[in-house]
Amino acid sequence: MTQAVRESLPASARRRLDPLSVAVRFQSVIGLIVVAIGGVIFSPRRHGVILFLQPDNMANIVRAVSETGIIAVGMTFVIITAGIDLSVGALLSLSSVLTATIMTTAGLGLIPTVLFVMACGAAFGAAQGLISTRFRLEPFIVTLAGLQVARGLALVISNNQYINISYGDGPGLAPPSFAILGDRLFDNVVPVATLVFVVVAVVAVFMLNFTRFGRYVFAVGGNERAARLSGVPVTMVKVSVYAITGFVSGIAGIVHAGQFNFGSANDGTGYELTAIASVVIGGTSLFGGAGSLIGTVAGAVMLGALANILQLNNINAALQLLATGAIIVLAAVLQSLVRRREGFR
Amino acid sequence: MRRTTTALIAGASALALSASTAAAHIAKACGKNDNYVIGFSQANNAEPYRQHVNDQLTAAAKKVPQFTLQIADGAGNVNTQTSQMDNFITQKVDLILISPFEAAPLTPVIARAMKAGIPVIELDRKSLGEPGKDYTAFIGGDNFKIAVEAGKYVADKLLPEGGEVAVLEGLPSSTPAVERLNGFKDGVKGNSKIQVVAEQAADWLPDKAQTAFAAMLQAHPNIKAVYASNDMMAAGARLAAKGAGKKDGDIKILGTDGLPGPAGGIRAVAQGEWAATFTYPTGGPEAIEMAKKILLDCADSVDTVVTVPTTAITPDNAKAMMGN
Repeated sequence: MTQAVRESLPASARRRLDPLSVAVRFQSVIGLIVVAIGGVIFSPRRHGVILFLQPDNMANIVRAVSETGIIAVGMTFVIITAGIDLSVGALLSLSSVLTATIMTTAGLGLIPTVLFVMACGAAFGAAQGLISTRFRLEPFIVTLAGLQVARGLALVISNNQYINISYGDGPGLAPPSFAILGDRLFDNVVPVATLVFVVVAVVAVFMLNFTRFGRYVFAVGGNERAARLSGVPVTMVKVSVYAITGFVSGIAGIVHAGQFNFGSANDGTGYELTAIASVVIGGTSLFGGAGSLIGTVAGAVMLGALANILQLNNINAALQLLATGAIIVLAAVLQSLVRRREGFR
Repeated sequence: MRRTTTALIAGASALALSASTAAAHIAKACGKNDNYVIGFSQANNAEPYRQHVNDQLTAAAKKVPQFTLQIADGAGNVNTQTSQMDNFITQKVDLILISPFEAAPLTPVIARAMKAGIPVIELDRKSLGEPGKDYTAFIGGDNFKIAVEAGKYVADKLLPEGGEVAVLEGLPSSTPAVERLNGFKDGVKGNSKIQVVAEQAADWLPDKAQTAFAAMLQAHPNIKAVYASNDMMAAGARLAAKGAGKKDGDIKILGTDGLPGPAGGIRAVAQGEWAATFTYPTGGPEAIEMAKKILLDCADSVDTVVTVPTTAITPDNAKAMMGN
């Protein structure tokens, strides 16, 4: 254990005592509860049944956010190191195209295809991390370039066409078991895409909170110089977090291809922004060093619940954008209040 | 409560009917005395044509007091559109209209809606299934036929003496672009004195159309007419013609879509900037008509494919159309 890492722990422990800090730490969970209560109050009813609370409606909400949620989980690691990854949406699209192409042409089989696509995603992310650290470039710039490269590759591989996935046995057909990603289990309620999201989130929570790597991630984001001086392998950590976002984008792309039976070079546009919004609403600071995965997951689900309740009430889509904008500002203001207060101490 | 009663009555009448025919009503609950929610899942509101569809649908639905129309904007994203369709199913809307952003990705959720007993009418764009089986019906225009009409109009009315003609194509890989190009060329075949001397893709965009048509005019100064596969490209072609020193009317410009509003083709024809434009019908009024049959008249079957004809907008009717 290094000095810097040890120091960062009591700091966060101290933060927990301050009520405002507690509120910020769990702001998205609180926000989710508020939205859920609002959802119950404003939900349309049919025969006295609250539509918002119906199991299949809950399933709709968590299914709709599963792809951006998976990406947001990875994005949390990057943002805790004070970085950013803009390439994730394009990488999702590239992964969906890769998945669809391999499934329908190479006949590689289900497991090898999935592993290959995830490996490609991780490699793409790691390459961005390497370029950013090796040449000391802002991650914003490197991943902005990565976004273009991933879209370009997706267009080249797909030959500017949508690649439809048909299922069955034989050449040109994907293994039918892949279609499970679009299914719902347990009495046709729980979407498989959501289960993937849950698994990704659980593994990530373990990595971030219970491993040495997780502590390194916080240390690098909290004070990179101090972390380096105290022996944290900063470059390795930074490359790893971009490999993680690449990896989860690969997973999200596979889920996308499986849910919608196609790969498209035009999909996933703007997903990076939704993911970043989920992370910020979740209480992770863009300045790095502090953040929570539970917060990110709650932030992602909150955005989905908000969209759902607005549509159930037939409220204009424009209002949804306005509401999301307001929530992001509110989350950022709360964070800055906490920072200022800590600065005074 | 009222819905249950109607359902009972409907059930009773269905029972009576089943004595003579085996056919069942398309809708689970129907009849003139109840109110109905129709959900429309639009592919992407941010396109002028799709906004026009929304407007026409809203106007048509307003005329039916029993109908409430809900429009959800898929925002050009298959995930968003799928979740909005799921929400419609949760809400148990009485009928769904959808213009799928992409065919394959939206096919499963359309199947879910049908399984939930909600009739689904596809508007303008199709999913992968079969009409009448995997979804209730398809209503839309026929790109090829619309472009044939435009071609015939050039061949018979605008240039009976023949001459050089140019074509501005949409985005090359897209189906409507190919259909409109082939349709127009088919339409002008009737007049052997007409020569298609240039055809270029301008990707539906006015700026690309302007550049492309300026180049065409350099290469073929005698071009007498240009067919643009959408209104936006026709507007671009006019700018190129003006840039080459031509006055309105010197070159006959034809658009497609026939959109209303200050930037649309109807105004351009009414003010003599273009020779004509051919509407790509929204199918909105036809869709509401079909919804009336299904929900109010308890129809047992409807036409599974409805092709809505185009309207030629020419100087004769453009001014009157502008009032609409």
